[in-house]
Amino acid sequence: MGILLTKEIDNTVHDPTRPHELITGGQTFTSVTDHICGIVERPGAPKAWWISIGITASLAAVMFAMIAYLIFTGVGVWGLNNPVGWGWAIVNFVFWVGIGHAGTLISAILFLLRQKWRTSINRFAEAMTIFAVICAGIFPGIHVGRVWVVWWLFPLPNYQAMWPNFRSPLLWDVFAVGTYATVSLLFWYTGMVPDLATLRDRATSKVRKIAYGFFALGWRGSNRHWHRYEKAYLLLAGLATPLVLSVHSVVSFDFATAQVPGWHTTIFPPYFVAGAIFSGFAMVMTCLIPARRVFNLQNFITLYHLETMAKIILATGTMVGYAYATEFFIAWYGGNPAEQFAFVNRAFGPYAWAYWTMVSCNVISPQFFWFKKIRTNPWSLLVITIFVNIGMWFERFVITVTSLSRDFLPSSWGYYQPTIVDILTFVGSFGLFFTLVLLFVRFLPMIAMAEVKTVMPQQHWENKTARPVGDYHGTNPE
Amino acid sequence: MNKSPDQAYWRSLEELGDKPEFRQFLEGEFPAEAAVPTDAVSRRRFLQLMGASVAMAGVVGCRWPEEKIVPFTSRPEGVDPGIPRGFATAMELAGEMRPLVVTSYDGRPIKVEGNADHPLSLGATDHFAQALVLELFDPDRSRHAVERHGGTEHKRSWNDFETYAAEHFGALRASGGTGLAFLVERSSSPTRAAMQDRVREVFPQAGWFEWEPLTRDNERSGAAQAFGHAVATNYRLGEAKVVACFDADLFQDHPTALRNAREYTAARRVEDGRMNRLYVVEAGYSITGGMADHRFPTASSAIGTTLLQLAAELTTKQGLDLPGDFGGMKEALGHAGHAPAWIPALARDLMHHRGASVIAVGSRQPDWVHTLAHLLNRALGNTGRTVVHVDLSDRNRPHHAAAMGFLADSVGRGSVNTLVVLGGNPVFDGPADTDMAGLFAKIEHTIHLSDFVNETSKACAWHLPRAHTLESWSDVRDAEGRYSVVQPLIRPLYEGRTPIELLALLLEGSPAAGHVLVRSTADGMLPVLDRETAWLKLLQSGVLTGSESVEVVPTLEGRGIVAGVRRGAAAHAPELGENNLEIIFQRDPSLYDGRFANNGWLQELPDFMTKLTWDNAAILGYATAEALGVKHGDLLTLDVGGRTLEMAAFVQPGQAPWTCVVQLGHGRTAAGRVGDGTGFDTYTLRTAATLDFSDGLKIGRTGRSYPLSTTQDHFAIDATGRNEREQRSHTLILEGTYEEYKQDPNFVEHRHHLPPLRSLWEERTYEGHAWGMTIDLNSCNGCNACVVACQAENNIPVVGKDQVGRGREMSWIRLDRYFQGEPDEAKVAQQPVACVHCEMAPCEQVCPVGATMHSAEGLNEMAYNRCVGTRYCANNCPYKVRRFNFFNFNKDIPDVQQMVYNPEVTIRARGVMEKCTYCVQRIESVKIEAKNEGREVRDGEIKTACQQTCPTDAIVFGDLNDETSKVAELTANERSYHMLAELNIKPRTSYLARLRNPNPELAESSDGHPAH
Repeated sequence: MGILLTKEIDNTVHDPTRPHELITGGQTFTSVTDHICGIVERPGAPKAWWISIGITASLAAVMFAMIAYLIFTGVGVWGLNNPVGWGWAIVNFVFWVGIGHAGTLISAILFLLRQKWRTSINRFAEAMTIFAVICAGIFPGIHVGRVWVVWWLFPLPNYQAMWPNFRSPLLWDVFAVGTYATVSLLFWYTGMVPDLATLRDRATSKVRKIAYGFFALGWRGSNRHWHRYEKAYLLLAGLATPLVLSVHSVVSFDFATAQVPGWHTTIFPPYFVAGAIFSGFAMVMTCLIPARRVFNLQNFITLYHLETMAKIILATGTMVGYAYATEFFIAWYGGNPAEQFAFVNRAFGPYAWAYWTMVSCNVISPQFFWFKKIRTNPWSLLVITIFVNIGMWFERFVITVTSLSRDFLPSSWGYYQPTIVDILTFVGSFGLFFTLVLLFVRFLPMIAMAEVKTVMPQQHWENKTARPVGDYHGTNPE
Repeated sequence: MNKSPDQAYWRSLEELGDKPEFRQFLEGEFPAEAAVPTDAVSRRRFLQLMGASVAMAGVVGCRWPEEKIVPFTSRPEGVDPGIPRGFATAMELAGEMRPLVVTSYDGRPIKVEGNADHPLSLGATDHFAQALVLELFDPDRSRHAVERHGGTEHKRSWNDFETYAAEHFGALRASGGTGLAFLVERSSSPTRAAMQDRVREVFPQAGWFEWEPLTRDNERSGAAQAFGHAVATNYRLGEAKVVACFDADLFQDHPTALRNAREYTAARRVEDGRMNRLYVVEAGYSITGGMADHRFPTASSAIGTTLLQLAAELTTKQGLDLPGDFGGMKEALGHAGHAPAWIPALARDLMHHRGASVIAVGSRQPDWVHTLAHLLNRALGNTGRTVVHVDLSDRNRPHHAAAMGFLADSVGRGSVNTLVVLGGNPVFDGPADTDMAGLFAKIEHTIHLSDFVNETSKACAWHLPRAHTLESWSDVRDAEGRYSVVQPLIRPLYEGRTPIELLALLLEGSPAAGHVLVRSTADGMLPVLDRETAWLKLLQSGVLTGSESVEVVPTLEGRGIVAGVRRGAAAHAPELGENNLEIIFQRDPSLYDGRFANNGWLQELPDFMTKLTWDNAAILGYATAEALGVKHGDLLTLDVGGRTLEMAAFVQPGQAPWTCVVQLGHGRTAAGRVGDGTGFDTYTLRTAATLDFSDGLKIGRTGRSYPLSTTQDHFAIDATGRNEREQRSHTLILEGTYEEYKQDPNFVEHRHHLPPLRSLWEERTYEGHAWGMTIDLNSCNGCNACVVACQAENNIPVVGKDQVGRGREMSWIRLDRYFQGEPDEAKVAQQPVACVHCEMAPCEQVCPVGATMHSAEGLNEMAYNRCVGTRYCANNCPYKVRRFNFFNFNKDIPDVQQMVYNPEVTIRARGVMEKCTYCVQRIESVKIEAKNEGREVRDGEIKTACQQTCPTDAIVFGDLNDETSKVAELTANERSYHMLAELNIKPRTSYLARLRNPNPELAESSDGHPAH
């Protein structure tokens, strides 16, 4: 086990004369393996884990109960009405898909860009991506009026030769989110194979041996394995990179290609992608900050990692703020009265409270990250990232609901209010998400051990002071 | 089964009918229980019943002398199963008839239309008539007689009643009817009038009292004062250039309302070179007020004074000569007081159009105002031209309020021990100062014939089920005396009998068939030669030609007029204010007097102006509400002369200051599952002396609020939204003045600037038919008939108050209503909106499964079976005409009510989207007919349901590719425009801009809102 930290080590200042210390605390390969595997191998989960999963699983159960009620009764159990045909379900869908963005971005784009600090957080972020996409995927499925025929959205051969309408952005969504979920899952799993083999090798019980062994795909750490593995990983990273940009672009098309004022705007694809990265990183931070504390991962997920993510949040948050401003400018500059009203209505209409919540959380709160003190303090980071999560949910709410509630004909304007079913379903989706997260931290290595070891000083021959100690499999040759 | 004279023809069927099992089947035909929702009637059983009714329809109607049953397998000659047939009939509301043609589908009446052969309808109806079929199949209708002793009630049959009647009325016949009284609804039926005469013969001691809560007695006494006897006043608005309405809702609340609306709009069709001008003086909005070129919100109590001021202006300043010597008139008019600025302008307009103007006074105004109007119309030379009178058949009857007073007195004296109530619901709608229930309790024998077990039935010893209009033989006269026969479309579903049948039973001691009674009346009017053919012709056309009354020009009774006007002038209008408001009683635009409370279509029909459903409310103006500190939806305490009622407030533009309009008919307690407990019972505030309006209203706040479900303006709107709504309404409903139009007939094109509209892809072309529609906003008055017609035609579900409150109403066509200008002097604009069938439909592009697609004829079609229910189409529809089935709104519909469904239209399942189809079923049926006959579809042959019922012909449907069609002509009209054309979605429905014709003198001052 590594050294327990009582105080944060500040590795945020880079001394150019020395290699940047991404993993602190003088870790050896063995200590890394011991620490990360130790979390999973600990016999009997801690009480806190049981309590947590009890709560989250109950919430997830509430969500499933709500879904059952919905399917038996009708979409009317939600607060939808005639002008507002899409409410919380779609808001939640876009929110969760957005959350799912950080993982692939970290895995794929930062990998291709050789950002070494990604190794400490990519596993966790990728897992989060999968779970977020699972949560996201529930909503479009259940929000339709007739759930039992939702498979008609897939281009399945049928005797009537009926095809879906390829002009519809909803169909593009099916493909975009489907592809994204598949590639993310593959990516996550592929990256985990060496670590699963480590767990297999360290396993003491038969069940663990078989389970981890099955998923380790017979990994032996041979040169050929490593060679194929790294090729595959690189290819998947290349494949996933455009998906990071495409999935939320396509999700934004649901809105952008419609002609509802407030939706029909070309800025949506980049704006949605920036927002998704923004919210994804915020969620990663929100989850990681408590996790590194609970599992003593401060040497792996260091202040430097947190600070870097805070900088990305600051950058993307500012982009999002810029997009908000641009929308207003274009609404005015474009001279389309319906568009102009849509934006005036957002800021000053009946949903002004939601709009200003969004602006405060998304534009103002990340600006605190200009201050180093704030962006290197886990507590302030936690608070601000939670605000960002709230803000990003409200962004989707503002876009979806305010635009629909007042479109072209004032006679048909309406006001949307969620019902208790809406609320419980959304809260329940958090239950599902955190249940999956808790299962993940209990049964799978939450830090990519094999990858972390590549960025440790011992890996680098030019670093004379640190000699390689230990191997990938946890057996110490000394 | 009746034996009929032409047995031989049906012999084989008769033999079949003799078999016991078939008899059993017959007896069970439409048993009361068949429709009890909790009763598990199998589909098979239901189909059996249906088959029987089909067969009956086959024998022309079903309560004909040849009443027989034929099995479905042997088809009667001339009847094709599945081919709907129309039968002419009529309905009455408070003695005012509506000529109808009812579509019967395999023996089931499913749709009501106006009778095109009848001059009052010409094919149009109002929403009450449209909703009649739902009432017929109402599962809450009374199914059997009920006898009440003390607190218990017993199920009885007509046989039981006949036994009772034989004894009780036998004794009464012997005593000449001592202690007997009849309380009846108003009816124009000559047969009933004949029975009333017979009552006088058989029961010379009996009393005959007539009560209608929505009475037009003021008109009668006004005319009686002017002419010495009561006459009916009708209008020829087609001839009128200037119409001035004083609290008169000529387009909805008048016996010839449909014709008034039609003639008025025809007389402002600029394409025909015609234009008229409408002034309306009223307290709260009426349909007519919404159409006005100038509307002056005025308290009801001040309207008489206003007319007095107009009279003074006309006679003293404009030099109008009174027809004859009216000593003392000058002085009376001298008391008129200071006139508002618009009076001289109106007076000049009337003077310029002598003989072509109308001064109309509404039934709510006291008699002397009517008297004065008669005088002015005569002086202006309108009488006989634009204002015509016909004699009233019941002109000598006492007023309804008086009759009720007489009855109460008789009961109080103990001189009534048997009361026969024919229809109506006096316990609910009687004057508040008469304790009706208490009155009934004092009478030993009370008998109520009613189609529902209503409040009155519950206060009577006997309740007898009444046959519905569509099950009845009866006859009626219209407002001009034309004779029509009411013929049944279906045999009574339950044991209902008609009032004339009951009267016959009570008078003669034995039941008589309705058709015999009607036939004997009709025979008196039909030519002796070939009477049978004439009778059949009468039934076929629904109106007896040449039966209308002769127009009369009664002589003016100078003394009565002067006395009346002096009396009116002396009684100054009360000073209204915060502590003395005016309460105005109005019929409910949807429920009439409350009789339609259990009709879901009408309950959910948005009020034409407030858009309120499922409730009534105390309607207050903005300034008044503000002064009282009342907010929309607040629960108020209304106090008039010590009678109090808690009622929700509705703040409405265009309402006269210090007035409060309350609608009658809600708050029923024994209406049925739909009508119980909706709204507030305002009859409790309405006394015999204040049937129309009254001052002395005090309004207090309870501090609580009440949810009101409206279909527009679902929530209190913020300033941003209000400004935008008003601004935008001017671009959605294009309007101009007649002056603008004369200067530039293309003003619409010049006002409606569009960006260059180019498509991103090659547009589809349409060969063959290209269906399209035009809606003339200059004609539409927002009467709502199309909304119910569409609901009846297209099986549109009723969703209930809660769902309407959530914005989930299902109507395929709605009337968008926008107020413009200052709230208390607002102008109003109405616009019917249904799916406009865009050629480049935004809904089609976004549906992921292709459930909504374009047909080769340009219809935007919904494949319900394919719909997944993403609601994306509804989001992307700029007109918001798509309706989503959030729940299974067709669940738990009792079997009997399911009979109202149009079999040509799919019932939509839960979770699918629906919307206007341009009545595709009607298009297809005409196309099939044309194809069978080997010809092209003729223009005007296809009528959508909304178009067919529209009294003002505002809606025209047809083939845009046919250059000679009416719709193509109107689409090319210079007033034509496409709403939201800037989106380049190419809607097939175009609107014709509304033209207002303000008086140039008043254009600046009172109508000073910018004409943009």
